[in-house]
Amino acid sequence: MLLQLNNIFKWVNSGGQRIFLLKDINLQVEEGEFISIMGPSGSGKSTLLNVIGMLDAFDEGEYNFLDESVHTLKEKHRANLYKEYIGFVFQSYHLLDELTVQENLEMPLLYKKYKGSERKAMVADMLDRFNIVGKKDLFPAQLSGGQQQLVGVARALIASPKLILADEPTGNLNSQQSEEIMELFKKLNQEDGVTIIQVTHSEKNAAYGSRILKLLDGRKV
Amino acid sequence: MFKNYLKIAWRNLVKDKTFTLINVLGLSVAFGVAILLSMASFFDLGYNSFHENGNSIYQVYTEVQAPKGPEVTTSQPAPLAGALKAEVPGVENITRFLEQEALTIYNEKEINLNAVWLDSEFFEMFTFPVLKGNELKPLQEKNSVIVTENTAGKLFGSIEAVGQTINILIDGKEEPFTVSAVVGNHEDQNTLEFDIAIPFENHAGYTANMKTWNAQYHSVYMQLGPSVSVQQFEKNTQSFTDLHYKKNSENLKRDGAIPNKDGQFFQIGLLPLKDVHFTSFRKGYAEVSRVVPYLILGVAFLILFIACVNFINMSIAKSAQRLREIGMRKTLGAQKKQLFFQFWSESLFVFLVSIATGFILSFLLIDQFKTMFRTDISFNMLSSPYIIFGFLLVVFVITFLVGGYPALLLSRLGTIQSLKGKVETSGSNRVRNVLMVVQFGIAILLISGTLVLWGQVDYMRNKDLGFNKEQVLSFPIDGKKNPYDAVQLLREELAGNPNILRVSASDNNLGRGKDGSQSTSVWGFDYKGRGVRTHALVVDYDYLETLGLELVQGRSFDKNYSGDSQAVIINESMAKELGESDPLSASLPMGDSLRSPVIGVIKDYNFQDISKLIEPLTFFLDRESGLSYVFVKVAPVNMANSFDAVESAWKSIEPNAEFLGSFLDENIDNTFVREKKMATMITSGSIIAIALSCIGLFAMSLLIVAQRTKEIGVRKVLGASVSSITVLLTKEFLQLVLISFVISTPIAWWFLRKWLENYENKLELNIWFFAVAGLLAMSIAFLTVGSRTINAAMQNPVKSLRDE
Repeated sequence: MLLQLNNIFKWVNSGGQRIFLLKDINLQVEEGEFISIMGPSGSGKSTLLNVIGMLDAFDEGEYNFLDESVHTLKEKHRANLYKEYIGFVFQSYHLLDELTVQENLEMPLLYKKYKGSERKAMVADMLDRFNIVGKKDLFPAQLSGGQQQLVGVARALIASPKLILADEPTGNLNSQQSEEIMELFKKLNQEDGVTIIQVTHSEKNAAYGSRILKLLDGRKV
Repeated sequence: MFKNYLKIAWRNLVKDKTFTLINVLGLSVAFGVAILLSMASFFDLGYNSFHENGNSIYQVYTEVQAPKGPEVTTSQPAPLAGALKAEVPGVENITRFLEQEALTIYNEKEINLNAVWLDSEFFEMFTFPVLKGNELKPLQEKNSVIVTENTAGKLFGSIEAVGQTINILIDGKEEPFTVSAVVGNHEDQNTLEFDIAIPFENHAGYTANMKTWNAQYHSVYMQLGPSVSVQQFEKNTQSFTDLHYKKNSENLKRDGAIPNKDGQFFQIGLLPLKDVHFTSFRKGYAEVSRVVPYLILGVAFLILFIACVNFINMSIAKSAQRLREIGMRKTLGAQKKQLFFQFWSESLFVFLVSIATGFILSFLLIDQFKTMFRTDISFNMLSSPYIIFGFLLVVFVITFLVGGYPALLLSRLGTIQSLKGKVETSGSNRVRNVLMVVQFGIAILLISGTLVLWGQVDYMRNKDLGFNKEQVLSFPIDGKKNPYDAVQLLREELAGNPNILRVSASDNNLGRGKDGSQSTSVWGFDYKGRGVRTHALVVDYDYLETLGLELVQGRSFDKNYSGDSQAVIINESMAKELGESDPLSASLPMGDSLRSPVIGVIKDYNFQDISKLIEPLTFFLDRESGLSYVFVKVAPVNMANSFDAVESAWKSIEPNAEFLGSFLDENIDNTFVREKKMATMITSGSIIAIALSCIGLFAMSLLIVAQRTKEIGVRKVLGASVSSITVLLTKEFLQLVLISFVISTPIAWWFLRKWLENYENKLELNIWFFAVAGLLAMSIAFLTVGSRTINAAMQNPVKSLRDE
């Protein structure tokens, strides 16, 4: 088992009232799963994803990731944990505008203290695998949306994470580009055994997953 | 990793060329100016610090409890030095020191040298190493002299100086001297500057004064023995003064003077050599004040501060554009520490570039700086390891604080918020506002300082001093001829020139002429049972007429009255001091039996520096005493020609002398060189401060307008007019300037009033100086911000909303 959420609650206080963002969420994810989280706007999809990604804290409940209880860890250990095992893909790609494709790919490795030669090899390997060798010296602004997201996925994968968290990865893409990205996810999941959790609005994209989780007002339905 | 940081830093800097340029420019200028100013300040603070025994050398001063309150003098009588050494324990070395020009003759050359007359121990106390000649006791022989390298070059050229015989004009006679040694030039940071050193015993009038305790005309320096403290020594001198100043003390007591807390009327004090350059005795005690160098250092600091505020504010405001990067880096596992280091190293990069540019700037500007501020700084000063270490420390602290603060703010942002680009910024806005208030407060402080300083200089320059300063020129008499003959020859020489109106002379100059010397001569005597003190001035005929002094009563000196050479003319203050209902009936005691009748009273005029009150003054026509300065009144037309005519006439009378003529208004201007120097410095400081503040303000308005583009768009869609939006955006800045004005005005008022207290003749401080400063700051701020905001307000709202 990769991760387990037990009775997770998250809330904010507004005008003396407690507004629940997540309410009693229980979730078990096995390695190799491909889960799609669906639900209307404001239902808590992204919040849940952020909690799983350890970018956001929760107020109550337990979260175990690979036998580590995340809720008891200090921030530094938590950061070590997610930088080791989790890769993020965002709707708006979040590539760094000032860096080239190659340098964007290299960045996660810098924070993991890989050596220069290793980094080069890994980046070259990733460029090759995603067929973007020719674009390695371009800046994000010089790429199309689909290509940017391709780089985004490559960046998430470069340090071989166990889990990929994708927050509406195709939200800014046209249908053809989305299909390519979703096919890529499917391939990663099936051939490389990477666990994927994605948030999506589209039924079609959700169908790529092995399991669909529906949320409404912070609750599982 | 570091390479990556540098890369992204560089690309960010290049991407925002305007901001990078503004930042680097502002910081470079600030660093350049700060380097120069602090060098000037440290140069000043380092005065007299090159003497090896400096810590045990003191100037001897005397505090006298005069009837009008305590007075301090550094002038001492000739026997004091010897007696002090013989009678008071603790004197290791002691020397008399008198600065007086000496006409030095070598073959055909006649040069007026800046001579010091001193005792041989001088060269054991002070560090003026002997380069050539007698190293051990260079002034042992009475007829030996010591010259500096420069003087040796001037007098002997390439001939070996040691052993040469020169003649020095003393009391009208040429006396032979042998050069016993040559010392190095010490023109920098030295209050004891000289061209030639002559044994004190040779000074004119020494034989007359060597046993007199009443003629005080030179200063005394002494080196204290290692076992004696200053307080102890000063206490030990009390019986000494009791003995030697007995008669004077009794007279003071009779005139109603109050003794000090030890019951003394005379107290000898020691002033450390390192304080000599910074001491004023104006208030009746030795007041050591290093305000000016510290003020300069303060201005340097303020300018740096302003530039740093710009940097901080811009970094924080610009951080909005880098939120995504921060968020992304965090999701990729960057720790706070790493982010802090990244942003800090970016700042460090900007700082290093700016410091380098600042150094280059200061290097390029040092010559202009030196002439503008009359300082002798050089980059050699920076060679000392202390200075280098101090400089590096300052740079490190500044970059750490200034670069570190924004870096700390950025590294602490939450991951999710920064990814979303939404950050709670009210906290840093408060910091920004406070910094801007301080920044503009400093600018307003400096502007009002500038206005008041120049106001005071202008006031002093334009004040009616009571004599004609525009049409009168003066120059020192420095030749071998008897001064009375020389002046008479000059009169005859110039008689045919219709533009030369009158010629006269006196033994003192007005203001500070080209020879750079100023002196006072005070005469005290008993008048009807009480002590009276007056300034004394020996004048030639026509003095009143030449200077346009106004007679209130009586008449001027007249060649037709043979008795006039015994008579005196006094000023109104002196008349008041004498207390006679008819001053013309008074006569002053000139000796045991001789009395000098007062034949005229002139209106008070400022014969001393304008910063001083007008004191009693008496004119003598004493043909026995010498004259030192010629005064020539010229017609108001063709003044340059008249000046040349006087020069050539004087050249024909004293062909070997240097003509150092100048108009009196220049001389007066020279007396407030210090004020002008300070005013120039503060003015340049405030111009730079204002320019830097505006750069900062401009950058901030750019960023804030950019951040509020959406708000502007929405407001315009809802019907807001261009003017209302401009007001909305500008208001916030103007409020900050207003707050700075309210805070800084009382501070400026307090400082400036304190400063003006040093002047007896001063302009009135009024609210307008500050109002103008505030308005100036306000309008500059408005112009800077306004152009950007109007531009933003005029944009088509569709465009700004589409950007979202």
